[in-house]
Amino acid sequence: MAVILGLESSCDDSAAALVTSDRQILAQAVVGQADQHRPFGGVVPEIAARAHVEILPGLVRQVLRDAAIEIGEVDAIAATAGPGLVGGVMVGLLAGKGLSLATGKPLIAVNHLEGHALSPGLTDASLDFPYLLLLASGGHCQLLEVRGVGDYRRLATTIDDAAGEAFDKAAKQLGLGYPGGPAVEQLAGQGDPEAVPLPRPLVGSGEPHFSFAGLKSAVQRAVQSGKYRPADIAASFQAAVVDCFVDRTRIALRKSDAPSLVVAGGVAANASVREALETLAAEEGRAFSVPPGWLCTDNAAMIGWAGAQRLAAGWVDGLDVPARARWPLDEDAEKVRGAGVKA
Amino acid sequence: MILAIDTSTAACSVALFGANERLMAREQEVIGRGHAERLVPMIEKLLDGRQPDAILVGVGPGSFTGIRVGIAAAQGLAIGWNIPLDGMSSLALIAASAGEEPGARAAVVPGGHGELFVQEFDGPDLTQLGPHRSLAPEAAAEEIGAPLLLGPGAATLIAARGSGEAREGWPDAGCALDLPEDLRKLAPKPLYGRPPDAKPKAAV
Ligand SMILES: Nc1ncnc2c1ncn2[C@@H]1O[C@H](COP(=O)(O)OP(=O)(O)O)[C@@H](O)[C@H]1O
Repeated sequence: MAVILGLESSCDDSAAALVTSDRQILAQAVVGQADQHRPFGGVVPEIAARAHVEILPGLVRQVLRDAAIEIGEVDAIAATAGPGLVGGVMVGLLAGKGLSLATGKPLIAVNHLEGHALSPGLTDASLDFPYLLLLASGGHCQLLEVRGVGDYRRLATTIDDAAGEAFDKAAKQLGLGYPGGPAVEQLAGQGDPEAVPLPRPLVGSGEPHFSFAGLKSAVQRAVQSGKYRPADIAASFQAAVVDCFVDRTRIALRKSDAPSLVVAGGVAANASVREALETLAAEEGRAFSVPPGWLCTDNAAMIGWAGAQRLAAGWVDGLDVPARARWPLDEDAEKVRGAGVKA
Repeated sequence: MILAIDTSTAACSVALFGANERLMAREQEVIGRGHAERLVPMIEKLLDGRQPDAILVGVGPGSFTGIRVGIAAAQGLAIGWNIPLDGMSSLALIAASAGEEPGARAAVVPGGHGELFVQEFDGPDLTQLGPHRSLAPEAAAEEIGAPLLLGPGAATLIAARGSGEAREGWPDAGCALDLPEDLRKLAPKPLYGRPPDAKPKAAV
């Protein structure tokens, strides 16, 4: 059994965790920065980077203390090396390099998306490769076939906004503040999902790509019209996103013979999303797995877990490994028009 | 042994001091960007298997990203070896590059939005003659009287001021122990010298 220290600092959460190769989470800590970014209505890269360098060392000490483990007992250091806001990524990665040099233990540079992609296996020991993954987070919305550790085939991506971004923008238009996902979900619980007619972009099209920009504009028009209750707009928006997920994921499932469907990333914390995809999996005759909510949003346990599996495969990195703003999981995926950096 | 690190400018600088503050080894490269890749391998080479018992890291002012790279690596090293970590002034390191020369000298480093980080020090013992500031070149020309200007922003300030001597000069970790005590007992946290540019990543 190997003990891995995971470090995460790619967006607006600073996190550290100690996990083992046999799925124990010995300790973990996450500090969000929502309060610091809220006045700006979105994540400010320089503010995020400043916060990470203040917060992260304390979290490393905290998880070591909580697990009653000496740093020398750790078998490897896994740090997010991208994709994300590169100033923040550097903070966690450089701390990881320093720890690696000082302890003589290997460094594993983890792709944050791989952290999300492998996260279901940390809490679900019965989940086997391959599985079809809907990865829906603040920066990404992709359908991937996860064939094994380090072996990903991207079937689809968003051609404009990420799903979590759509939630955040809808929240902003509804005056709910940042981050928007949980707030929209809560308000949607009090609304009628059929009250506001909203588009389902790309639904019915042959390739399972996503688009949320048109939905964002429609929400804006609905808000400005003054005709609808905010709760009804939130519920109708959430229903539209869920419909897009179900339709797009169904197409992808029919292109893949993976026996399981998995949903991960921050948006997978949403109960309507989880329920709808569980139903879809049953309809399509696939098993279904979703990580617990805390493992869906950014955390370091998933980085440590991805590190554990890379270590087991013998993949470690040099101390010169770069921090990467952009780092697709499937480097060979075809370019999708409009997808830009979020692909 | 003390390990000293500074990555606040285009230079990536590390040094190792032994007993009696003797400089044992030093590595310095002017690399522009890329400290995140170069720094830790440089430290590995510098140490050559030796383990220091304290770390000094340059905390700025200078490049925001560069400062964080040095501090984050130093934090990881300090936790990994379980040894103390202190901060040192990167501008004082630049000022130290003029060595034993007497008289006032100023450290000048390009900052953000065309401004310069400046601070004046006196003579060989590096007494601070004023606080560090971020000033436009014209304002710095008014405020900074020291004849000797050191650092990667020195030529810009000479051009604005029209007098004095500019020397390039990088923060050299090999000068770390020339700094007076108060300038090398700082908290190991960035000294940014400017507020962040608060522009959201994606405006709606
Ligand atoms: N309950 C929820 N419903 C919908 N979206 C959510 C929910 N919880 C979080 N999110 C969204 O998930 C995103 C954050 O996910 P995360 O995986 O942390 O993103 P990233 O890795 O891209 O930073 C945010 O956009 C947030 O609004």
